[in-house]
Amino acid sequence: MKRTLLLAALILGACSKPQPAGKPDILIATAWARETVAGQTGTAAYMKIANFGQGEDKLLSVSADPPVTAMVHQTSNEAGVSKMRPLSDGLAIPARQSVTLEPGGTHIMVMGLKAPLKSGDLLKLRLKFERSGEKPVDALVTGAEGP
Amino acid sequence: MRKLRMVLWVVVGIAVIGFAMLLVNQRRTETPSSEQITLTSFGGPFTLTGADGKPFSSASLKGKPYAIFFGFTHCPDVCPTTLARMVKLRKQLNAGERPFEILFVTVDPERDTPAEVGKYAALFNSPITGLTGSPAVVEQVKKQFGIYSKKVPDGQGGYSVDHTSTVLLFEKSGGFSGTISPEEADSMALAKLKRISA
Repeated sequence: MKRTLLLAALILGACSKPQPAGKPDILIATAWARETVAGQTGTAAYMKIANFGQGEDKLLSVSADPPVTAMVHQTSNEAGVSKMRPLSDGLAIPARQSVTLEPGGTHIMVMGLKAPLKSGDLLKLRLKFERSGEKPVDALVTGAEGP
Repeated sequence: MRKLRMVLWVVVGIAVIGFAMLLVNQRRTETPSSEQITLTSFGGPFTLTGADGKPFSSASLKGKPYAIFFGFTHCPDVCPTTLARMVKLRKQLNAGERPFEILFVTVDPERDTPAEVGKYAALFNSPITGLTGSPAVVEQVKKQFGIYSKKVPDGQGGYSVDHTSTVLLFEKSGGFSGTISPEEADSMALAKLKRISA
């Protein structure tokens, strides 16, 4: 009897855990990066990451064409002080939801630029997801205010 | 019957106390708005270096209202977002090209040369005065304006800078007028800018 109860409890416990019900289906839209001037080696890129699937996914890392590097960063504003830190645990993209990377919040920090990014250029990025793998993204370079 | 009378008296008592509290509260909220605060000791005078490498003195701002923001040119997100927003709000005021000046002062003078801040300020296609100076001078100006900044390693061998993200507003007279924070609604920010530009 005891064993049956324990088994039942185990089964119930396993059921209540949020399991990824299905596959994620990631679509990236409106990717843009802020233009830069000579001497400026870094900028930020923004985009909307939508998950049309039934399962959660996670953005693990971002890369660019060497020597340019990219990272997911989070800007926070605590007591009037702006701080920028890498998102070390990745960025969760829940099922049937979209996450927007926008100015003043989560963004892709681009570093190591050797030449200025001009309006109209395309900045090639590769986003690596936990379940969906690598997705190439062309971010359109636009003026400071964005598209 | 007696019970009912007592209950009624209690009700009357509560009403009187409530009314009295209302009066007191009203008076309390009335007082601060009737006071006008001007802090003339906050902010200038200062002499920094302009994009042309020549000294830029706060004396040249005499008679001009201005918005001043401290940041750094390697800042990819908050600084350009804030400056682009100030430019957008200035256009929305519909009061000519420069109803108020926009000043950008670096908190990273070690990397930001005059040419560097000048080029950065030019990114926004609207007049912004980029300013730098020796580390000692920048430190002094930061103190005058109550600005905090701290370098933090970026994990890639370089550094980023945590810094005050508030824009400070000054009237024509040079007196401190208020602040604009990143979280604040555009309508609130516009009202404040209208006040200094009048």
